[in-house]
Amino acid sequence: MVAVSKYFQNVWDALKSTFVGMRITGRYLLTKPITVQYPQERMPIPNRYRGIHYLEQEKCIDCLACARACPIDCIEMDAVRHGKELEWISFTLDYQKCMFCELCVYPCPKDCIHMGQEFAFVSFDRSEFKHDLLSYKGMAREAKTRMIEAEKKKAAKEAAKAAKAAAVAEAEGAEPEATESENSKNGDSKPKDSKNGEGESA
Amino acid sequence: MMLALQSINTYSPGSGSNFLRDQLSNLAPEWVPAWAIPLTAAGAAVGVALAIVSVLAMFSTWLERKVAGHMQCRYGPMRVGWHGWLQPIADGVKLMLKEDMIPKGADKILFVIAPALVLAALLGAFAALPMAPGFYFSDMNLGVFFIISMSALTTIGVVMAGWSSNSKWSLYGAMREAAQVVAYEIPLGVSLLVPLMVAGTFNLNEASALQSGALGMDWLIFHNPFMLPAFVLFFIAVLAELKRAPFDLPETESELVSGFLTEYSGIRWSFFFMEEYAAMFLFSLVGAFFFFGGFNSPVTWAAAEVFGGSHFIVQVLAFGTVVVKGFIGVFLMMWVRWTLPRVRIDQVMTMGYKYLTPIALVCVLGAGFFEFLFAAM
Repeated sequence: MVAVSKYFQNVWDALKSTFVGMRITGRYLLTKPITVQYPQERMPIPNRYRGIHYLEQEKCIDCLACARACPIDCIEMDAVRHGKELEWISFTLDYQKCMFCELCVYPCPKDCIHMGQEFAFVSFDRSEFKHDLLSYKGMAREAKTRMIEAEKKKAAKEAAKAAKAAAVAEAEGAEPEATESENSKNGDSKPKDSKNGEGESA
Repeated sequence: MMLALQSINTYSPGSGSNFLRDQLSNLAPEWVPAWAIPLTAAGAAVGVALAIVSVLAMFSTWLERKVAGHMQCRYGPMRVGWHGWLQPIADGVKLMLKEDMIPKGADKILFVIAPALVLAALLGAFAALPMAPGFYFSDMNLGVFFIISMSALTTIGVVMAGWSSNSKWSLYGAMREAAQVVAYEIPLGVSLLVPLMVAGTFNLNEASALQSGALGMDWLIFHNPFMLPAFVLFFIAVLAELKRAPFDLPETESELVSGFLTEYSGIRWSFFFMEEYAAMFLFSLVGAFFFFGGFNSPVTWAAAEVFGGSHFIVQVLAFGTVVVKGFIGVFLMMWVRWTLPRVRIDQVMTMGYKYLTPIALVCVLGAGFFEFLFAAM
């Protein structure tokens, strides 16, 4: 008799548990999904999230405090000082090394380097993980135009000098012209790269 | 039962008109040989069946992923087309472009035949399934019998696939499939006997014609109190027969690495996949024909009242009714799949032999007595 009641109990339990389960999944079927369509929508990220850095370039004074604080030396920066104005050459952060420890943020005297909200960082090439913070947040274009203008002024000055020299010398016009053109070339196209290369080698 | 037996005795092959064949023989010029006309008609019919079945199966795969996603509070496919409705096409293209792999040491011939056999057997089963009144491929007197036996034939393909793959996982999967189908064919057939007994026919067209009421009160499910348990048994047996979760022991991903599908990839794998979804649709429709009124719904009833029984609009609405009923069944199977965890193989066997079979027999007996006592009144 016990076996018989157990039999019917089993049938009842199986049916009941199935219907209870189906009620639950049915309820979930009708609720709104909690996932988001990632690249288009994003989950809110907490304010203190340590994502990819961004730099407030106007505030930065090229003091190297962040680079020194970095425990794995992934920050490299290079700038030239013209009186009060800083001419930025590069401020790179190698995200292949970076461990997002935020130790670079605290020592900054001007509070200009921050860790942002962006976390996705995909690339087909390893070299792209060396992130130029100057180019981040649209700073690069301004910096570049300024740099190019400065280079043009320099080139104009040198050209004027060369013209004077040429006028003085009169006889040998070809040589100073050649040097001038070389100068302008170096100045206009890729000043950044050449200087970068020097910095790395040094 | 007597009615059914009579109709078996009076069965005569080749009788009845065939729309396609008749049209073709009217259209064909005289130089066309006589044997070419039925052959062309058959080819066209196979093409139509293949198109309908593959579209339904493809849509079912999309539905499965959407249902699975939403039941887990996800979206499911969203990228290809509106809410990912073109996803099955993208999947199909991917599967066709995949490398065709036959493992070393596999029995090449059986390995190649198995998926084709599985899909062909199932498409064959669709021959007995009417899609609308007057729109069927074969008006078989033994329709359900044919459908069940053809779908059992897919098991041979699965066992073939498991054996020829030269992989222990595949072989385990195939053995489980065989054991499971042997266990569940019995309750499947016996539970179907309950409506068959009332309908008195194996023919799906006739069974559908019996249930043409206004609000579905003539549906067989309401005919006697043993119908509902019989339907539940039928549904469970179909789940096991089609190796759908919670009875997907032959292709347990977590323990058997997809079982008999382990060594399959690309288009061959997609044959098995299509077979599964087409079989879900097929058995949903068998359930719809013998429990839930077949072509009949309040909509088709109203249309038949307005336009007359065999009007084209009624046919289209009946086709819509059939598709909707089929998808309700498919959805139910998905709902169960994403609700219940997989059961153990011994639990599957216990359920088949100790629970479903005796209860189905009790249902048959009870329904017989009920009909005998009350149907005359």
